[in-house]
Amino acid sequence: MKQIAMIALLGLASTAAFADGAIAQPPKAAACFACHGENGHSKTEMYPVLAGQYANYIAHALTEYKDGKRKNAIMNGQASGLTKEEIHDLALFFGSQQSDLYTPSVHGALKQ
Amino acid sequence: MMKFVRVGAIVAAITLSLPALADGNVEAGRIKANTCMGCHGIPQYNNAYPTYRVPKLGGQHRDYIVAALKGYRSGERPHKTMQAQAANLSDQDIEDIASYLEHSPAHK
Repeated sequence: MKQIAMIALLGLASTAAFADGAIAQPPKAAACFACHGENGHSKTEMYPVLAGQYANYIAHALTEYKDGKRKNAIMNGQASGLTKEEIHDLALFFGSQQSDLYTPSVHGALKQ
Repeated sequence: MMKFVRVGAIVAAITLSLPALADGNVEAGRIKANTCMGCHGIPQYNNAYPTYRVPKLGGQHRDYIVAALKGYRSGERPHKTMQAQAANLSDQDIEDIASYLEHSPAHK
């Protein structure tokens, strides 16, 4: 019974962390900010917004860059030194940021 | 003197119209983006294998989307489905779709 309560509490705690976007900044995230903006809110057209992107998509992209499957002179270099754990942490961090991104639709008025 | 003014006015008119040309046609993009919505228009939609969510494109920078679609079209960026989708897109189609996605309405 005590164990079940503990698990329930842990579950609640992690849900709360996600909802806040309050995941601690991983050590290597600052390097990403240079191009992708603070916390992934890119202000540069060529560099995608990372804030609020799906975490497992970010992890997939970083893994492809690391493996050289997806080619980009800057990103291949950046990702080559990342471990699996670091990719996981970076993906969760950027994915948990308040989002500029959304699921699009072909119906309705354009956003400005 | 008048000649310089006239030339200046023409140059200014061309310069001012350039961003509009480069931006693509947003309403044409709305129609061309229809196919994209089969996957990208569904919240939390999963890529089958490997499993990850297809990225949110609403609000993404247009220049990045243009680069992504051209990368798929040339085959440089891997993803079989996206390569097939991009294969028949013209430069204009890509500009239109990217311009649309940057300002598209959100899924409700």
